[in-house]
Amino acid sequence: MFPRPLAALLVTAVASLLTAPATAHFLVVHTPKTALLRGEDLPFHLIFTHAFAGGPSMAMDRPERFYFSRRPAAGEPSEEVDLLPYLQAIDWQSEDSRVPAWRATIPRNQVRSLGDYQFVVEPAPYLEAGEDIYIQQFAKVMVNVGGVPGNWSETLGLPAEIHALNKPYANWTGGVFRGVVLSDGVPVPFTQIEVEYLNHALDVDNRRFEEQGQITAPHPSLEAMVILSNAQGEFSFALPKAGWWGFAALNVGPTKQHAGKPLSQDAILWVQVTDLPP
Amino acid sequence: MIIQLLGLFLLVGWGAAHAHTPLFDCFDNGNETLTCEGGFSDGASAEGVGVRLLDQQGKVLEQAKLDARGSATFKRPGGEFSVVFDAGAEHQITVLGDDIS
Repeated sequence: MFPRPLAALLVTAVASLLTAPATAHFLVVHTPKTALLRGEDLPFHLIFTHAFAGGPSMAMDRPERFYFSRRPAAGEPSEEVDLLPYLQAIDWQSEDSRVPAWRATIPRNQVRSLGDYQFVVEPAPYLEAGEDIYIQQFAKVMVNVGGVPGNWSETLGLPAEIHALNKPYANWTGGVFRGVVLSDGVPVPFTQIEVEYLNHALDVDNRRFEEQGQITAPHPSLEAMVILSNAQGEFSFALPKAGWWGFAALNVGPTKQHAGKPLSQDAILWVQVTDLPP
Repeated sequence: MIIQLLGLFLLVGWGAAHAHTPLFDCFDNGNETLTCEGGFSDGASAEGVGVRLLDQQGKVLEQAKLDARGSATFKRPGGEFSVVFDAGAEHQITVLGDDIS
């Protein structure tokens, strides 16, 4: 399936690790509920932050693209709907200051049809001054309306992308989520994936994360957990708690420079986990 | 061998016919029409499935078959009504007019 010899794959993997991608940054693309019985207005918040710690959050420029991809019917190609017109700038509390972030309400008439909606944010590169690198995280969240499956398993051709092998909106607590890390559509073997729990709920009225997290991790390795893809670029992760889990494949995109500095093109996928009813 | 293959076909056919759940919803288009969409939980197409618009007494006001996108549009009737998605026995869903907005 992958013609390159294993030795070359290992060299690629080691080189990827040596570029020291910026860690723990997560583009949070949040909507309260992803498995909907009927279409409804969908509120979104876009915040560039540290997901487990609930901050600090970083200033986020207006995204270059914000859209959903939907397949109108089986056998038809997916179509994109531009959502940039719905974006509104907000400020989000980050420690003692407020930083630019974004919100949007997608009206029901855009998301009333049965099926899957792959929401995608393609942000502008962010200069992480402390590390003197740019970060660009291509982030996906999937919403389903009514239970009819659609294009959840389609890749969208992003420079950096996580291809879901499970429906990201249909996961019980304790279940296993699987995916494939892609760089321009090609699986990336032995690459680093950070997994973080969205530990601080969004307080959208006050535009901040709640101070109290749900989990106190006893060790840093349990805050930003790091796993590696396998030789085929696949990974799996057992989901131990209901809520949102973020997967970030770091520095996998093909473009490595921006404005004269190193660029880390990361792939983000958010997965919503549901407790079994009592 | 032929009998074995026939048995396998029937098993697969039975599974395919019963493993999916019908799904259906209708929306008001804001122009005195409503659009109904149907599908199945396994992604199977609902093209050709019959949809009936019924008045309060169960009289058929209008009927249509879902198109390739699993969709059909009707003129919204006055008074109380319901819409039935009819994909055969055990695969019927009714949406009440009051729930269509």
